[in-house]
Amino acid sequence: MSAASATPAWEAIPRRRLIPARWRNPIGIVGAAIVGFCILTALFGRFIWTIDPNAPDADRLLGPSRAHPFGTDDLGRDTLARVIHGAQVSLQVGLVAISIALVAGTLIGLIAGYRGGIVDLLLMRVVDIMFAFPGIVLAIVIAGLLGATRRNAMIAIGIIIVPAFARVVRAAVLEVMGFPFIESARALGGGGLRIMFRHLIPNIVAPLIVLTTVYFSTAILSEATLSFLGLGTQPPEAAWGNMLSTARSYIDQSVWMSIFPGLAIMIVVLGFNFLGDGLRDVLDPRVGGGIGDVVTKK
Amino acid sequence: MYRFVAQRFLSMIATLVAVSIVIFSAVRLLPGNIIDIMFGGDATATPAAKAAAAHQLGLDGSYPSQYWRWVSGIFHGNMGVSLLNSRPISDTMKTALPITIELIFLGLLIAVSIGIPLGVISAVKRGSASDYLARVGGLIGISIPGFWLATLLLILFSRVFHWVPPLSYVSIFKDPVKNLQEFFMPAIAISVFTLAIVMRMVRATMLEVLSLDYVRTARAKGVPRRRVLRKHALRTALIPVITVVGFEVGVLIGGAAVVEIIFGLPGVGYTLLNAISNRDYPVIQTATLIIAAVFVVANVVVDLLYGLLDPRISVT
Repeated sequence: MSAASATPAWEAIPRRRLIPARWRNPIGIVGAAIVGFCILTALFGRFIWTIDPNAPDADRLLGPSRAHPFGTDDLGRDTLARVIHGAQVSLQVGLVAISIALVAGTLIGLIAGYRGGIVDLLLMRVVDIMFAFPGIVLAIVIAGLLGATRRNAMIAIGIIIVPAFARVVRAAVLEVMGFPFIESARALGGGGLRIMFRHLIPNIVAPLIVLTTVYFSTAILSEATLSFLGLGTQPPEAAWGNMLSTARSYIDQSVWMSIFPGLAIMIVVLGFNFLGDGLRDVLDPRVGGGIGDVVTKK
Repeated sequence: MYRFVAQRFLSMIATLVAVSIVIFSAVRLLPGNIIDIMFGGDATATPAAKAAAAHQLGLDGSYPSQYWRWVSGIFHGNMGVSLLNSRPISDTMKTALPITIELIFLGLLIAVSIGIPLGVISAVKRGSASDYLARVGGLIGISIPGFWLATLLLILFSRVFHWVPPLSYVSIFKDPVKNLQEFFMPAIAISVFTLAIVMRMVRATMLEVLSLDYVRTARAKGVPRRRVLRKHALRTALIPVITVVGFEVGVLIGGAAVVEIIFGLPGVGYTLLNAISNRDYPVIQTATLIIAAVFVVANVVVDLLYGLLDPRISVT
């Protein structure tokens, strides 16, 4: 045995890691990297790739080349510039929709779980009724009835995610309510608002973070679907969904138009799903196994 | 058991009534009067013409009486007429509903028949390369937009195999081969998300069940491995999966709506989207209700199945 393979004495002492062991989760880290990359692209991409996403400045329906890595579309606009613009749109819609769902869903769940009784029953019946509509169909109808704009798409997507948040928050609140510190807070004279905001919310942050990440992917997918159907961001402004919708008419001439915006959607959604999966392992083993089964929790 | 069925049935009726009230109100609480929108800026339209149009659409009288006319009409097979072409909505739905149901059924069939075995393999070979592949594949599956997958399938078949699906819809009872040629691509496109969800769920429940004592007991008393997996473990593991399948019907309906547009299948979702772009309110109202009804009924069926399979549930 050579001397090199013997363990040096200093290695026997466990090193203090910068990142604790439970945070070292490969899927979560890959997800965080993808999400980080997308956010940076949305924020700074247009300063690096400076072609105007709306300027027709090349031949139509080109394939990938050095000048246009993602090719050009039916009007000769640069697809990469449009995909970068689409990243801004997607993340903006995701952020606004998730904020709506987070605020409304947390309030509903908090009040239902804290007050209990008839309030709980009524609020949860409303949530049940919302669950009786398939999510994306509800979004299509709301966005369609309100009128096809990006703002209305954000509202519609926010609304369809509210019930999932309400249900999970309520379940988490009920669990926290069972701990003695809530009783002691009340015995010390803490009012309803104080208990809700000082004691309940800080204790349900973990499931909220997981839920926000997982449903961010739902929001982005829904946005793409709505704008694909002409119910979200309107052309000529670029959004991944409406780019794919236009591409369908030119499918015989150029498949590239159909490839890149779809890849972009898939990668971003995948990033949020990876991140959500990783965060769930780390923060909150209780919340179900993935999108779709969170909401089946009754 | 009868009590359980009756209970589920009553709550289904209650949900559907609530759902119909929500839809009814949503269409009416819209900014802008439907009749005014219909007549646009037409200043020559007489109040009498507007009143006649309102009567024809069932928009006259108080809201409760309008609601009653709409709902009782549905029970009599009279769903009103389309604003666009005056075609009875019940006629449209008679062709649309079977298309959507067939699509959902095929999607579910693909998802379950591939998702369950993959989930079992992944759980049994936990930590292996194939498990890792299945898990990452599952995450990719829930990240692909169905409508993009549909486009990719179309490109693949038209470019590589030089084959495009037939464009006009035929019923499966008239020409099963042509019907399936038309349906397999949209069915695959909508099934992938559900397949991934089912796989992930089966993997999770199988892992849980495989660690239980009775599975070890079965192995210890000499029951062959495959038999333990299939008869002892999988049966128990599938029970929670059934609930997820019920929820997934909703996802499939949503996916079907979008994919119907791409493949030109005149299903319920296709009808709904067309009605939305034409502001055809009677059709929007009825199509939304039918979609919600399909979803609610599917969930009741799932609940009943659950009650049948899991003896602990039926007592409630």
